[in-house]
Amino acid sequence: MAYFKKLKTDLAGAASEGIITPEQAGRVWERAYSRRTFGAFKAVHWIAAASGLFIALGVILVAAHNWDKIGAIVKMGAFLLLFAGTAEASLRLEEKPAAVIPLETLWFFMPVLGIGLYAQIFNLSGDPVKPYLAWAALSAPLALLSKRPLAAYLCSLLLFASLYWGTLGASSVLSLTVHYNQTAQPLWHWALALAVLAAGIALYPGKKLGRPLGAGIAWLFFMLVADTAIRLRTEALILLAGMSLSVLWLAWSSEEEGSRGAGLPLTVWTAAVYAMTFFWHYRTHDYYGSGSTDTAAGAILAWAALGAALITLAVRRQRVLPEGKTEDYLAKGLLAASMLAAFLLFDANEGSAKILAVIANLILAAFGAGCIVSGAKNSDEKLINRGVLVIILTAVTRFVDIFGGLLKSGLAFIATGLAFAALAYFVNRGRKALIDSVKK
Amino acid sequence: MNKLRIVFGVQLVLFIAWGGYLLSSKNSASPEFYLETRPVDPRDLLSGKFVALNYDISSPQAGTCPTVSSTALSFFVKLEDRGRTVNTENGPVHVYEATDCAKTAPFGAAVWAHATPRPGFFGRNSAIYGIESFFINENNPLKDARSGSVIAKVKLGRNNQLVLLDLVKKIQP
Repeated sequence: MAYFKKLKTDLAGAASEGIITPEQAGRVWERAYSRRTFGAFKAVHWIAAASGLFIALGVILVAAHNWDKIGAIVKMGAFLLLFAGTAEASLRLEEKPAAVIPLETLWFFMPVLGIGLYAQIFNLSGDPVKPYLAWAALSAPLALLSKRPLAAYLCSLLLFASLYWGTLGASSVLSLTVHYNQTAQPLWHWALALAVLAAGIALYPGKKLGRPLGAGIAWLFFMLVADTAIRLRTEALILLAGMSLSVLWLAWSSEEEGSRGAGLPLTVWTAAVYAMTFFWHYRTHDYYGSGSTDTAAGAILAWAALGAALITLAVRRQRVLPEGKTEDYLAKGLLAASMLAAFLLFDANEGSAKILAVIANLILAAFGAGCIVSGAKNSDEKLINRGVLVIILTAVTRFVDIFGGLLKSGLAFIATGLAFAALAYFVNRGRKALIDSVKK
Repeated sequence: MNKLRIVFGVQLVLFIAWGGYLLSSKNSASPEFYLETRPVDPRDLLSGKFVALNYDISSPQAGTCPTVSSTALSFFVKLEDRGRTVNTENGPVHVYEATDCAKTAPFGAAVWAHATPRPGFFGRNSAIYGIESFFINENNPLKDARSGSVIAKVKLGRNNQLVLLDLVKKIQP
């Protein structure tokens, strides 16, 4: 309702300033307010809805109390009738959005209600993931054919949830992780998992592929890190794969979201580079990961991800900074550096890890500076703020984590705190000046 | 015809067919028998009023069971009455025990129950029969039942699948 309050104020303001006439303001307001969610609902409708809800809940509780006395066929028949009624009503009221949206949502959930009911009546148990896969398979045609995207969103979400839960779990039809020193999971589990992944991406509505692609890439990374048939244990390969996958996600998320819409993938890439800065504290440890080694499939995937990311950088538009020759060089250079820096971890010692950390800090500093300069050039306050945020976060972290010992840390904090206060003052003045210049 | 109507029709037919299959499996002519349960976490917390069940036959060690359960994707467990009894309110009843395993169900009069392996320590898989939970309503006198304090009344349904019919309280002699 805050939106409508603000809209009313804005329209009144526009009318009083003579931008639009009071009549136009009134008509715009009427049009917007009448189309709000549940706009057609009057008080009597709400009371009737509450009455229906209470009666339905009461019937459910009475039925639950007498559940043992109701025969299996009656329970199944009631479910089938409810299912048929919901689907039929949804089909008949297709042109009335207020009715069809809740009905279609209920229709989407009917298969899982049925599976749960049958499992309860017949005391079925077993693989926990199978019912959800069956639900997704039964509801996928509805998601594909519905005029509205809600069922497709829900089905895609269901598939991704089943994928993560099933593949990382111990004993399901989707299990890919090895437990209790068992041999690797059968190959058809992989085939099924990849089919679920493909279906999850394909069913996601619209052309914005950023989120499903990110969910798929994150899943692949989990599979590389977990104890699967494609596991990686070498820190260098894990970092190489992780950075390459984050660059791939950043580059291939939907075009129409624009460079500024790269939000989540860009944040993930920045966070990954930020995490790399902590390799300053790296210590060689022979004991780590001595129980298992990289798999050949995992290593091939890591190198393939690097190759694909480098080719993508060469042929595809960068989405880190706004377009421009200098920006392109800078962004592609930073992305490539973030991946290639992982090579410093091969046969790493503390010295090479420190170099990696320094490079990561330089990448963040260059990225922050690039955002500020490019933001000023393109009158983009958001980009300027992002640059300032990245630089300040990096600086604060370094102040906090490079000092050790209470006395030393205390004195360093006081000294650097004073210096930082001065720095913050000048940075803020510079930032304000930049934003003011943008506004002018 | 509206494509969504076809989808709805297929969904409905599948549920009717599955319900019919489950009903015919539950009402199959095979004999009923009892299985001993073992203590396990009392309630399936996520599912509410379901008793989580574990059985003596969940860890079959007789005959070829250790080998078969650790190598096969699904297998069959031979269940036999070897004279072991448990006291109930209706007197002592015989409980079946796991006596052998096979990758395919051999023909014959013996009871061969279908099972799937669940990974365990040191390659010792346990057997899952699909009868590991039982719904108990609030009026049921067994509502405080725990695995280990009851025996399970079962029968062999279609495709050698065990069907859980009821729980019966054990009485200490």
